[in-house]
Amino acid sequence: MKLRILLADDHEIVRRGLCSLLQKREGWEVCGEASDGREAVEMAKQLKPDVVIVDIGMPYLNGLDTTRQLLQHDPNFKVIVLTITDSDQVIREALDAGARGFVLKSDAARDLVAAVEALQSKRMFFTPRVNDLVLAGFLEKGHAISRTEPPDLPTLTAREREVTQLLAEGKSSKEVAVLLNLSTKTVETHRSNIMRKLSLHSIRDLVVYAIKNNIIQIQMPPQLRTVSETTVV
Amino acid sequence: MTVRILLVDDHPIVRQGLRTLLEGRPGWQVVGEASDGIEALDKIDVLEPDVVVLDVTMPRMNGLEACRLIQLKGKTSLEVLFVTQHDSPQMMREALDAGARGYVVKSNAGRDLLEAVEAVSQHRVFTALARSPHASC
Repeated sequence: MKLRILLADDHEIVRRGLCSLLQKREGWEVCGEASDGREAVEMAKQLKPDVVIVDIGMPYLNGLDTTRQLLQHDPNFKVIVLTITDSDQVIREALDAGARGFVLKSDAARDLVAAVEALQSKRMFFTPRVNDLVLAGFLEKGHAISRTEPPDLPTLTAREREVTQLLAEGKSSKEVAVLLNLSTKTVETHRSNIMRKLSLHSIRDLVVYAIKNNIIQIQMPPQLRTVSETTVV
Repeated sequence: MTVRILLVDDHPIVRQGLRTLLEGRPGWQVVGEASDGIEALDKIDVLEPDVVVLDVTMPRMNGLEACRLIQLKGKTSLEVLFVTQHDSPQMMREALDAGARGYVVKSNAGRDLLEAVEAVSQHRVFTALARSPHASC
């Protein structure tokens, strides 16, 4: 029986590259492709893939919250997180979210097949830097990887994190309501609760919070590092 | 006539995706790949591509710097097309000022890339930000 893989990345060219890489393996098939986290969750529920590969920086629902929602729906889902960054915080959150694999996008051509093989064999796969961190902090100390400050995320519910991401991406309460199939009033209530819980006072504060907590990711262009404009990716 | 294309991006998986997209087009040939600007400059001399598909953010030498140096080579038949994550009018202006003929955002590459390569290979300008409803040629 074929190993069925679901891919979730907002960039079609990345999905094409991943497909090309994975489908070279006999016995593996890409059973679906999603371009954002919400689509990935819906497709995974329908297709029941053996492995789900999720990019962290996706619109509407980021890869970390996608992983959380997938595992909340079915703890047997095997998720590999793909990321452009290997910061301590992202690694910790991916582990906390329940990912069984963590692969840097820059190393995907080298590591992804090995990661899928590991999950297929009921093992985990982490990029070497994650292994170092796990050995240095997680196992020896018996608690999470060392951190400089406590995480902010647990104070928000899953729904509040979804609303936070969409607002930080620039959507209005009405647009968020349509996307999440809620009333505008309900979204406004979520928005008020989020601002109150986090002691935020403006959308600008919310965007900063979302960036700091990896709810959205930014990449600064090389020539514009001193300019305040950022690009949400 | 065959369009010879050089792919420049630091992520092999992105290069692979670009290759599968471009090689589906009859008459187009991906003649090589490079992972940064310095490698691209070397390969241009050897491979003589018609179009360089260039990322902006790369190690060692970024795409903007590479594009400026490509212009100094004086190869009038060679065109540069940026394919980048930066969905920014400022970055697009920087790219065109550096001598690029085209600018496409990675998130929309599936929609815009083929049209963009076709345009720049004919020495026409092609730019498209993700937010723009239509590309301009």
